[in-house]
Amino acid sequence: MSDIPTGHISIEELENVQITIGKIVGAVEKKAKEEGVEVGPTPKPGISALREWDYKLLARYHPVYTPVCDQCCYCTFGKCDLGGNKEGACGINMEAHQARETLLRVITGAAAHAGHGRHILHHLIHLYGRDKLIDVGPSNLLAPNTQAVTGINPETLGDLEEVMDYVEEQLTQLLATIHAGQEGAAIDFESKILHGGMLDHVGMEVSDLAQISCLGMPKSDPEAPLVEIGMGCIDSSKPVLVVIGHNVAGVTNIMDYIHEHDLGDKMELAGLCCTAIDMTRYQTDQGQKPQAKIIGTLAKELKMIRSGVPDVIVVDEQCVRADVLDEAKKLSIPVITTNEKIMYGLRNRSKDSAADIIEDLSTFKEPGALILDFDVLGEVAPELAIKMSKIREEMGIKALPSEEELQELSAKCVQCGACEMDCPDNLPIMAAMKAGVDKDFSKFEYLHDKCIACGRCDQACPKDIPILNMIEKSSQKLIREEKGLMRAGRGQISDPEIREEGVNLVMGTTPGIIAMVGCSNYPNGTKDLYLVADEMLKRNYIVVMSGCSAMDLGMYKNEDGQTLYEKYPSKFLAGNLINVGSCVSNSHITGTAIKVAAIFAQRKVSGNYEEIADYITNRIGAVGVAWGAYSQKAASIASGCNRLGIPVVVGPHGSKYRRALIGKPYQEEDWKVYDARDGSEMPIPASPEFLLTTAESIEELLPMLAKNCIRPSDNNMGRMIKLTHYMELSQKYLGHMPEDWYKFVRMETDLPLAKREELLKILEKDHGWEIDWKRKKILSGPTMKSDVSAQPTNVKRLCKGEC
Amino acid sequence: MADEFPFEISPMFEGERIRKDNMYVELAGPKSKGFELVRAADMDDVVDDKFTLIGPDLADMEEGSRYPIAMIYKIAGELVEADLESIVERRNHEFQNYIQGFMHLNQRDDVWLRVGKDAVKKGMTSFEPVAKAIMMLFKNELPFIEKVEAVYITDMAEIEKEIENAKAVYKARDERTRDLHDEDVDTFYGCTLCASFAPTNVCVVTPDRISLCGAINWFDGRAAAKVDPDGPQFAIPKGEVIDAESGEYTGVNEAAKRLSSGEYDRIKLHSFFEYPHTSCGCFEVVGFYIPEVDGIGWVDRDFAGTAPNGLQFSTMAGQTGGGKQVVGFLGVGVNYFRSPKFIQADGGWDRVVWMPKMLKDKIVNDMPEGIRDMVATDEDAADVESLRNFLKEKNHPILARWVEEEEEAPEEEEAPAKAVPQAGFSAPQMMPSNFMPSMPMMSGGGSGGVRIILKNAKVSIEKVIIKKQD
Repeated sequence: MSDIPTGHISIEELENVQITIGKIVGAVEKKAKEEGVEVGPTPKPGISALREWDYKLLARYHPVYTPVCDQCCYCTFGKCDLGGNKEGACGINMEAHQARETLLRVITGAAAHAGHGRHILHHLIHLYGRDKLIDVGPSNLLAPNTQAVTGINPETLGDLEEVMDYVEEQLTQLLATIHAGQEGAAIDFESKILHGGMLDHVGMEVSDLAQISCLGMPKSDPEAPLVEIGMGCIDSSKPVLVVIGHNVAGVTNIMDYIHEHDLGDKMELAGLCCTAIDMTRYQTDQGQKPQAKIIGTLAKELKMIRSGVPDVIVVDEQCVRADVLDEAKKLSIPVITTNEKIMYGLRNRSKDSAADIIEDLSTFKEPGALILDFDVLGEVAPELAIKMSKIREEMGIKALPSEEELQELSAKCVQCGACEMDCPDNLPIMAAMKAGVDKDFSKFEYLHDKCIACGRCDQACPKDIPILNMIEKSSQKLIREEKGLMRAGRGQISDPEIREEGVNLVMGTTPGIIAMVGCSNYPNGTKDLYLVADEMLKRNYIVVMSGCSAMDLGMYKNEDGQTLYEKYPSKFLAGNLINVGSCVSNSHITGTAIKVAAIFAQRKVSGNYEEIADYITNRIGAVGVAWGAYSQKAASIASGCNRLGIPVVVGPHGSKYRRALIGKPYQEEDWKVYDARDGSEMPIPASPEFLLTTAESIEELLPMLAKNCIRPSDNNMGRMIKLTHYMELSQKYLGHMPEDWYKFVRMETDLPLAKREELLKILEKDHGWEIDWKRKKILSGPTMKSDVSAQPTNVKRLCKGEC
Repeated sequence: MADEFPFEISPMFEGERIRKDNMYVELAGPKSKGFELVRAADMDDVVDDKFTLIGPDLADMEEGSRYPIAMIYKIAGELVEADLESIVERRNHEFQNYIQGFMHLNQRDDVWLRVGKDAVKKGMTSFEPVAKAIMMLFKNELPFIEKVEAVYITDMAEIEKEIENAKAVYKARDERTRDLHDEDVDTFYGCTLCASFAPTNVCVVTPDRISLCGAINWFDGRAAAKVDPDGPQFAIPKGEVIDAESGEYTGVNEAAKRLSSGEYDRIKLHSFFEYPHTSCGCFEVVGFYIPEVDGIGWVDRDFAGTAPNGLQFSTMAGQTGGGKQVVGFLGVGVNYFRSPKFIQADGGWDRVVWMPKMLKDKIVNDMPEGIRDMVATDEDAADVESLRNFLKEKNHPILARWVEEEEEAPEEEEAPAKAVPQAGFSAPQMMPSNFMPSMPMMSGGGSGGVRIILKNAKVSIEKVIIKKQD
């Protein structure tokens, strides 16, 4: 049956009959069999296929909702007040609706990545053909997420289409359940959230595999180059072309045009958000220099536009401010939209000549253009920037207020507090205004690093004071010095790197893996990221960055003027700092965990999601942190980690979705698994303690990270090191020993080496444990045995003799 | 307890580097002299926790200066023996680096230490607390040490007196290690440390076989098993010799059976083809059989290219790990190349035909002299054809096998089936997945019912959906 090939077939027995087959889908098992790959029980899982696994997770990690709003406004039977255990007009209750809200966010995020993936895949297939081989570095397992979920082992771009078909179909099914009168149980919405998150990692993986293979991006390259980052890197005396968004497809045409016409030295090409990251990955896999600069994250968009420096702005998709056109218009900056997801009401000029478009935009006939033809775009954007640079200079465009104006504006402030109320960080704007009256603008400068340039203060001000502009003007000196370095996105972690690191993971020399993801808006600016990453790196954790966090980390320098990317090496090794790449590269973080299962335990990956997730849950000490804001995409990424048993901590801003998945360490029956050797029950430590939770400060966060890298399968060396860091970080940042440290002790060799005797005394005195002092051995006390050969699993069918 | 020291002790300081500008004093190193030495002693000869300093102490040293240093530790205990000295000695490096503001590089008489300015400012003005901390850590980590005493020397004349003695000890130890073979001991060691990630793997560590990851040798296993006989490293009584050549022992087979829950019941320690040792995931090098020349190639993690069989390290490694006995592939630690019993069941070095240049350079001095030039590298041979020519040209001992086979089966082009004694190993296993031709075949003939005849028809199918039947 599935020996049917695509293309034209003629069959001898049939006279002059020609059959044309476009595409064959669904032959996963057959294809895998041909390749000698065993497919697990759930290739291309539907919504219910992994439900049992989700239920297992959710039985231990209970969903907790603390909604800001008690109402459901989804349909006009309502709106309905769900407070006080009331049901809505459709019968839905508060828990189910809250879970539904999260589901909507998660699939919105997943759809953003999947939509991006489909777009770039379509684009690259058009350029390179379906048979273009996937080439992402020296790995055997090329697409770990894709393979674990769908059972497909893609070899070519064409193979990825079927993967996208699956993701899209499932997202549609999930979206359908948001509608009134669908799912009623919170727990099943929760399971759907996890399903959506899992799909997201597949969609992201497809995007990145396709672009790495075709666009010359670093292929699992630990030596990926360092890239300039920051507003201060931009030479505003040259024509400046600024690109904003996430999808580098069209931008590569611009870069090619600049390269072919030798314009590289004559103009500045810089990016904001993940397009910027991917621009600096473009054509660098052979050791070439990056051809673009990075300005920064979403939080720099408005600041960059308002600086008046860009001569042309090109936007593609995702995380682009909705008011780019309005803001740009004020400063005579033409805007080009290039993706159907963002068109800003601009006229479609895709079929027009470059010269016509340049003429119209440079004479301000129209404020911008929609150009979906990338060849046209490639020419228009740089040529227009060169032309506009002169025109705008001649116009004498002044973007920011002068010092005198600053004083006048400060004086206008009536100290009503509306701006501070609306500021996401409640920054002290009024104090800055007060000082500004006396020509002291230093307090505005202080606001700069913490301000994420959302512009809500401007909107809130009853006196129409352009607060953001004032902050920016006062910080000109700081901004000029805002030059950092970021390691260009390296792509996947290769199989050989994982094998090499295996010894460290086993010996505990690498106590865990910390993935710092998510968007900007950290309570204490980029310094927070720096402090967390530096502390964990010093302790030999592997720190993995991606997307906005990767950029922000490159913005902070220590006393030696160094960023952490310069301070730490970038292999997948203990104490190394890695940047996997843009938002879609987040899939490589989960991909690495899947690879560990495949490499060290030879777990079958294809269509075997549950077993892989079970392995990761019990063995791989990885924790995700989204310390800043937490977009729908970030929520989706986190949910995908959660389904694999990887816990995620969010910061104060991320907590605003007001949902958590929290375990109860005091409920002993929740912390039991099977020993796969014989199916017997074994107790495990309460770690990870949560799948999703909030930390209020980095002081709370740091010990939490160390603790939640503890896993049931740790050997003594691993547990000893993990416990050492947990206790030290708690002492250092909270000023006391953690209350529960002894619960992770199975035998004396689990105890931190330098404090072993002291701790044994405490165990004897405070916890009544029996100690053999001559041999310094624990005789009784621990609730768990230490047995490195035990095989913890949450899944009964994986136990010996079960199937 | 750790609080009594005027410095912090934590593994987080391990990676700490003390640069010249931050250095209070440099000890030993390339521009001075020094050594570290651990000696097993009788219980009566050791005064527990005693520290003696010969020469000036830290406080007496001028900032920015350089001094020699020797660190001698005497250990005693019921289970302490000379074979454990090197294991304890190696910990001196690890533990001194745990101390904040203290840097220790290299080992033995190559040691090179630096003390940071900040550490001295915080109160590290004497070597005494440093030595006491190290002694405390020794006893915590290795409780078979019941008593330990430290002597530090910073006086050049004294060090020069002692250093020859230390060198003699190192030499004797190296000779012991080199001359200690599987046949000289009655106990091997099993290591299940990596079971936390590779649940079914069991490493058998013997004097002639280091662990696959390269991190645990026989002495490490011995020390760990003394600390905790029930721990992740444990004794495997060797039992009866079944076959010394291939390294098969009753004790190892019994352990294999027990530890793999019956999955494997035989392991030949020095065999590539028959009942080979299981492979975990972090082996440094993978060996692969090349049927066309009946030889074995080796490729290491750092080699990114393809081996003559057209495969990369990662592809072959992908088939090898997970604690399974995989015939045709074998994961090993680099040091195993230095073992005199290196795959001796299959002809040892005479069977080795290819390895990447970088790997060969690393171990070339440990290869039997006669074979050194005969093993091809990626510079000599990129595919099987050029490999075959290279081997012929160099008259590699493998040629003797070709002759035998040609005599035995002159007609047969594919020799592998003959060359592989173990059933279950078939060539396709090592072929890349797209190697197998899968020609589209439309088989006619239905299973009855309606017969439809198409003539002059054009059938267009946009999409065929194949579904698994539940």
